[in-house]
Amino acid sequence: MDTLTTLLLGFISIVIINNLVLTKFLGICPYLGVSGRIDMAFGMGLAVTFVVTLSGTLTWLIDHLILMNPSLAYLHLEVTRYVCFILVIAGAVQLVEMYIRKFFPSLYESFGIFLPLITTNCAILGLCLFINLWGIDSFPQAVVLSFGAGIGFTMAICIMAGIRENLTFADVPESLQGAPITLITAGLLTLAFMGFAGMIKG
Amino acid sequence: MILALTIVELWQSSWPAGLIMLGLGGGFALVLLIASIKLKVEVDPKIEQVHQVLPGLDCGACGFAGCSQYAKAVSENPELIGKCAPGGAETADKIATVLNLQISESGAPKRPIIHCRAHTSDRTYYGDYKGIPSCTAANALANVQACKFGCLGLGDCTRACKFDALHVVDGLATVDYEKCTGCGACARTCPRHLIEMVPFTYEHMMTVACRNRETGKVTRSMCKVGCIGCGLCAKQSELFSVEENLARIDYENYAPGEQTDAAMNKCPTGVIIYVGKNAPPPREKKARTASAKKDSLNKQ
Repeated sequence: MDTLTTLLLGFISIVIINNLVLTKFLGICPYLGVSGRIDMAFGMGLAVTFVVTLSGTLTWLIDHLILMNPSLAYLHLEVTRYVCFILVIAGAVQLVEMYIRKFFPSLYESFGIFLPLITTNCAILGLCLFINLWGIDSFPQAVVLSFGAGIGFTMAICIMAGIRENLTFADVPESLQGAPITLITAGLLTLAFMGFAGMIKG
Repeated sequence: MILALTIVELWQSSWPAGLIMLGLGGGFALVLLIASIKLKVEVDPKIEQVHQVLPGLDCGACGFAGCSQYAKAVSENPELIGKCAPGGAETADKIATVLNLQISESGAPKRPIIHCRAHTSDRTYYGDYKGIPSCTAANALANVQACKFGCLGLGDCTRACKFDALHVVDGLATVDYEKCTGCGACARTCPRHLIEMVPFTYEHMMTVACRNRETGKVTRSMCKVGCIGCGLCAKQSELFSVEENLARIDYENYAPGEQTDAAMNKCPTGVIIYVGKNAPPPREKKARTASAKKDSLNKQ
């Protein structure tokens, strides 16, 4: 397979087939917490996309240039991987927060506490570690995968928000109203996306 | 010896990790420092100050997402003061201080004045009002009481007040100036616009406690203590003016003195009174009219 096909397949894979939220169950808290309204969900998705692209790329660079550098192997730097990744993510989130506060004050208001919480969004750390686990060794692929993970998250949270907005008008049994029906919805959505498994062969 | 060895070993194996963390941390600190200067947002210092006096629990009891959101909201709309449950009255006081709620443009604290002084026995009613116990609802009825301008006494302002500073006493809303913070919630809620926020340049202020714009005869027929627009006060002091059968006080040039006291004493219905902390009690009703006549009759 040539490079472009690999990149394209990698992108489709991370968005649909290996969607971090729907198949890896990462980043569930914003997925359920900020999916009340579709505009906010979209904003959250964009913020996460930005953070995950930046931190995924940066962590790949740090990982390959410093931590896993063969000439530095005797120092066993890979033990600091988690801490380094968290540091990168936290820094990126701070950057995004300042940027949004400056240019999109209303979005900043509506995010409230969820914006700093992107730091602890496990989808992001998960992606950084998955890139390692899957042995991605080309820089473009790491960038595309990071970006794709963000797009996948945005897609998942927007679908969820769309369904939840319509759930307001649905005739839900009293015992299932609120959180239970949301969780059931999330489960059904996941089941649907599980159907994509095995779509890309080879 | 073994301990010393392990410490040395620990140091030898861990310094690269420490160095990496230091380098990364320093790099990010630098980037964030530049970003924080470049992307600096000018925040109203008042919002910051309000945020500082809040408890900082982000509990959401006020109905906002967190303390910072509430600080912003309350700075823009002081009516939201007193929603902080953990902070209680103390925090509300501090917010009021920060927001200068008590201070008008001239530097005097703003306080509400109720432009009505008619208690239940002073009014004329056409019947008993048994509807929704709210001034706004009662105000929609044409003949809930004879006076179309006076206090309805159903306590919309009492419910709006978050400081327990407004009570309906014998059918008339009465301000407790010791507790009032001057937030102005009552003035906004009164459906008859009877409550005016006035800069209290003195501890107590003189006021024409009436809003009735009917002619003197009609006013007399419906209220014992209404302003009849006779203009006696305006003749005594330049502070008073009569428009639309109603005396008004020019609060911008407010300065009490002999003239204003004379105006108060000349007022045939006693509608000019002092309000505020330690206000002198109003003149006995009809002291100048009925009982004075009686006295003069007795002398004869």
